[in-house]
Amino acid sequence: MTVQVGDTIPDVSLTYVPYNPDESLQACPVPIPYNLHKELKGKKAVIVAVPGAFTPTCSLQHIPGFVEKADELKKKGVDVILGTAVNDGFVMNAWAKTLGTKDKVILASEGGSGFYEKLGLTQDLTARGMGIRSKRFALIVDDLKVTYVGVETTPDLTVSGVDDVLAAL
Amino acid sequence: MIQQGDIIPDGTLQYVPYTPNEDLKACPLPQPFKIHENLKGKRAVIFAIPGPFTPACSETHVPGFLHSYDALRAKGVDTVICLSVTDGFVMNAFGKVSGVKDKILMAGDGSAIFTKALGLDQDLTKNNMGIRSKRFAIVIDDLKVSYVGVEQVRGVTVSGAEAVLAKL
Repeated sequence: MTVQVGDTIPDVSLTYVPYNPDESLQACPVPIPYNLHKELKGKKAVIVAVPGAFTPTCSLQHIPGFVEKADELKKKGVDVILGTAVNDGFVMNAWAKTLGTKDKVILASEGGSGFYEKLGLTQDLTARGMGIRSKRFALIVDDLKVTYVGVETTPDLTVSGVDDVLAAL
Repeated sequence: MIQQGDIIPDGTLQYVPYTPNEDLKACPLPQPFKIHENLKGKRAVIFAIPGPFTPACSETHVPGFLHSYDALRAKGVDTVICLSVTDGFVMNAFGKVSGVKDKILMAGDGSAIFTKALGLDQDLTKNNMGIRSKRFAIVIDDLKVSYVGVEQVRGVTVSGAEAVLAKL
């Protein structure tokens, strides 16, 4: 079953490294849990998923779009912007530093929590040497309830990009 | 598990060929690296790390091979490959952050097929990392395994550059 508007988001823990402005690119702190229900209760959040850290669309357009327009999202009441992928928390942290997400977008790992399976939004990229990944999508979540689901079906950003999310808020 | 004297299994990894001054944010498409086709007739070291951008891998294991590169070449090593169960995009980024340049070929075994064929996979699900490789180093001579060092402890001992050099 694919996640629908009105559903409650799964109660799982992702993993992430909290933003530290003095952290060097080479530093690799141990990721800590990010429990979705605990962190997002009572808040408005955008949860974005990308198939892979350091891949073209993800790095050049998808996540940077959310970093660039983070303030516009905040103005529309968004408290938290979460970018996620199956890559582990160490990789997501390195990617965050490369992209310069700072404290605007939290890049978190699905961390083996089954988050994407529970949403019904996985894709099998084994043939491309990438194993099971998430689809590219964006969710708007209000007090843990899904109010928008945009799942990409083409290689372009049509329903899951920052402009699509802004239009839905 | 792979043993000394075995022929290394064939497999296809993913890597991004080295380009000097490639921007850190650039993400070229990885290409296939076929083990048998590329390593036939050569002396190669394949060392595996559980995860790029993780402490021991970043701080000790990869730098060790980088520092020992010239010594390895002097002992007839043609190719040094760093392997991990992740995709070629991530390995390329890790290679740039680690400054490996053209010395170490950073290769991804994203679906763990080659790692499993070696019998050297491990389940790190409890660490939120899924199936990964063990930490190891293998020396192959014209596809024949002449050394296998699989780490049994935390840190880098039998799988490190010094252990490999001692065997060459």
